[in-house]
Amino acid sequence: MDSEISPGSSITIRNLTKVFSGERKNLLALSQVNLDIPSGQITVLIGPSGCGKSTLLNMIGGFERPTEGTIFMDGKQIEKPAPDRGFVFQDYALFPWRTVLGNVMFGLVNTGWKKKEAEEQARRFINLVNLNGFEDAYPHTLSGGMKQRVAIARALAYDPKVLLMDEPFGALDAQTRKFMQQELERILMQTCKTVVFVTHSVIEAVYLADRIVVFTARPGTVKGVVEVDLPRARKYTDDAYLDTRGQVLSLLEEEVEKEIQQDGLEPPQD
Amino acid sequence: MLTKDYSYTIPGVTEHGFKQQLLRAVRFLMPFLIIGGLWEVSARAGWVHSSSLPAPSAILGSFWQLAWVKGVLWKHFISSLYRLVVGYLLATVAGVTVGALLSLRPTFRLLFEPVLSLLVSVPSIAWVPVLLIILGLDSRTVIAAVFLGAFFAITYNTMRGIETVNKNLVNAARLMGVNRVRLFFSVLLPGSLVSLITGLRLGIGYSWRALVGGEMLAAMVKWGLGTMVFQARFWNDVSMMFVGIIIIGLSGYLLDRTFLRWLEVVTVERWGMLATQK
Repeated sequence: MDSEISPGSSITIRNLTKVFSGERKNLLALSQVNLDIPSGQITVLIGPSGCGKSTLLNMIGGFERPTEGTIFMDGKQIEKPAPDRGFVFQDYALFPWRTVLGNVMFGLVNTGWKKKEAEEQARRFINLVNLNGFEDAYPHTLSGGMKQRVAIARALAYDPKVLLMDEPFGALDAQTRKFMQQELERILMQTCKTVVFVTHSVIEAVYLADRIVVFTARPGTVKGVVEVDLPRARKYTDDAYLDTRGQVLSLLEEEVEKEIQQDGLEPPQD
Repeated sequence: MLTKDYSYTIPGVTEHGFKQQLLRAVRFLMPFLIIGGLWEVSARAGWVHSSSLPAPSAILGSFWQLAWVKGVLWKHFISSLYRLVVGYLLATVAGVTVGALLSLRPTFRLLFEPVLSLLVSVPSIAWVPVLLIILGLDSRTVIAAVFLGAFFAITYNTMRGIETVNKNLVNAARLMGVNRVRLFFSVLLPGSLVSLITGLRLGIGYSWRALVGGEMLAAMVKWGLGTMVFQARFWNDVSMMFVGIIIIGLSGYLLDRTFLRWLEVVTVERWGMLATQK
């Protein structure tokens, strides 16, 4: 990776509460979340369904506003979306009317890059995600894994300080997912951006994270934090890896059972 | 059958040679030829009154007369086409603008959406008597009818199209630093094209019908396909009516199949956005 890489930002979340007002009832999604996301590290948010981790990510992105509490990035409050952050969505959110190159260039062109330099920079990122030769393809002709790589290239191209990823590999099959985890690790090792990554999968979390934040069932709040000190590149079968997995699972299982009960189902008897 | 470069062909269907295209044209025309043949036979055999349903040969003869001998068919056609183009283009510009405004300003939408969905269901020809009083009996009424026919459909579909753009696309764009104008032209407009084209397609259908109806009712209009069909009453010339009807049908069909189909292929089909492609 050439060119100046800006150091990642740190994010501070204080007393964050989010209520969704519904037709009949209000839904308390997040309750008094206090969280520090350190600069330059990959922080993974994990928790049972409905715990609000995606909502939290959306608020860091600026797409939603907190009901109470604050989110600060490098000391400035986050109020709306801006190019100091990048976002990778679970459904890719690629513009179907633009080619791969057009998609990756989009952020560059809109942050003041001139067309020619934007194109060169975009090509560099397309190369980074190993999609050489597909610059002129339209997204609908690509497979899920390829589309997500375009989304990652697009989010990174304009050099945001923070990269937000909302279950980016959730829509992929197991094989592709594993491949993408390794690809992402390779790509992220070359930058020092702050990454906030939301997932369901403990395996994925332990593979990618420097720090794992476990959320409680709804209303979501921070249950515990697991620091992950394993060397890169990680192996799914290392003892240390499996140990960490166990740590996270012990925090998580209780919450998953709570969530299943909330949804009216019976937790498994074992 | 698998060809050498692994492309798959079905003999007689997917190939594009001259012979195949000829075969395809023949297959398309076959039903018309059969119906035409039966029609001719029944007319000649006297099963149908030639005064109410002339034989295809008589219709062709009438067509020849009108098109070349008297040369009036072209003038009728061009007059109709002119009114259609003017009214339809105005409706497209107005419709996309108003539709966009309605989708972007929730207060407007709350006020006008019920009225709009109601007006979409009013057949364009119902507007003509009102227009005759306001605008008179000449060409302007017809153009206004064409406009109204397309306007509501285009407005409504544009509005719905913009509303149903995937929220994540809008979020992604906003994050990458677009202002509201850029958001509209780079994301909302292309994102709404499938719906918009549906609106354009409906609009041209309604416009065409409004055109013919309007021409029949606007007494001071001298040239037009609708006028031609209507005035043929005075000479009891059913053949002339049928020439008009067939030309009207053919034009309507071609308008959709050429211009709108081209737009579709060049945009939403290329981008894989049609429902059949997903």
